[in-house]
Amino acid sequence: MYELVVTLILISLGYFFGRRAERKHYKSIIAREKIMNSLPAMASRMPPQDGNYDQMLVSGSVVIANDYFKMFVAGLRNLFGGQMRSYETLLDRARREAVLRMKEKAKSLGAEMVFNVKYESSNISGQTKKKPPIIEVHAYGTALRKI
Amino acid sequence: MNYENPHIPEGINTSEEHPLKNFFILLIGSVVLIVTLSVVLAVSGGWLASKIPFSAENEIAGMYNVDEDVDDVNAPELTAYLQSLTDQISQAQNLPDEMKITAHYIDSDTVNAFATIGGHVFLFRGLLEKLPNENTLVTLLSHEIAHVKYRHPIKSLGSGILVGIAISTVTGSTNSDLLGSAGLLSSLKFGRDMEQQSDEEAMITLQALYGHLNGGTELFKIFQNMREEMDIDEPVELFSTHPLDEDRIANFTQVAKDKGWLEAGNVTPLPDFFEAALASSEYSDYDID
Repeated sequence: MYELVVTLILISLGYFFGRRAERKHYKSIIAREKIMNSLPAMASRMPPQDGNYDQMLVSGSVVIANDYFKMFVAGLRNLFGGQMRSYETLLDRARREAVLRMKEKAKSLGAEMVFNVKYESSNISGQTKKKPPIIEVHAYGTALRKI
Repeated sequence: MNYENPHIPEGINTSEEHPLKNFFILLIGSVVLIVTLSVVLAVSGGWLASKIPFSAENEIAGMYNVDEDVDDVNAPELTAYLQSLTDQISQAQNLPDEMKITAHYIDSDTVNAFATIGGHVFLFRGLLEKLPNENTLVTLLSHEIAHVKYRHPIKSLGSGILVGIAISTVTGSTNSDLLGSAGLLSSLKFGRDMEQQSDEEAMITLQALYGHLNGGTELFKIFQNMREEMDIDEPVELFSTHPLDEDRIANFTQVAKDKGWLEAGNVTPLPDFFEAALASSEYSDYDID
């Protein structure tokens, strides 16, 4: 019975704090993306041919922890299958944040754009069971600064 | 050439659906699933186990050496007395010949008694000390013997194994114990039904041996008093392996009323050596004290 109460408390704590953190994060991501649009990041491997550029490796990485609510919903989803919607926002936030950090780095180096952008994502919570997944997304690319 | 990152509308990679909606649908679905699964498995496991002949049950029980953990040899007179009552009750309950019940005495403060596979009934000193008369002792023994008569230990084992496998599979894939608890709770109902069946058989035995039910409810009052003394609340029935003490006492009265049996009558005292045997066997293993 106490187990039930503790689980319910953890779920509601996870829901309220996780959701609050998520809202705040999205607000910040959307605002910063607007500013960073001036510095495009491209997946293309072919750099512009119209001049000479300095090339620098830039990267941005972010670690986002799951919350108990998301983990619980995902666990239930495991039983039935289907889209794991509770984790979609988690990964979406991580990817966008990683690109933003990469662009911020590029901007500080005076670059105009970033080419050949790639993502890596990994789970860093280890193999232990019952641990909420903690994900790292790492974005990296070649920043180009006009000479 | 122009390079730009256009603004991408929100909601492409994520879903706009409220997370709580998803949560409740999944939660209700999985609870229904696990409860149904547990009930079906508990019933079928119990049914299958009841098909195991008692002789095969004895063989399973034979793998475990009972004598090592009981104190029968330290209290021979007491054990013989318990066994003679057990034999009388077995006869009163019309147990089949192959179903031999063995009463065991355990020198421990635990206030409890239980029956297990192979027809072994264990009685703890802690509970025996609290018994006011023979009628209450017979109620206790009849209740435990009835468990064997109705094959409750092997049925619980059978359903426990199946439900346990199902629960560990489900909790393994969901990483949450909550669903496991839901499954366990739904199988507790069967345990409570078994207790009630045994209580009723105990009443029939009391009536057959003494002609009245007096002394029977004293057994549940022992547990009730113990909880009061230790200031423990009785668990909510849904979470309990046994029916509530009050309900068990009320059930006695109800059955007595329905069948026209007497709740009053002369109680038989316990034999003189009973108390002395309990006291002398106490901690006899630790004479150094």
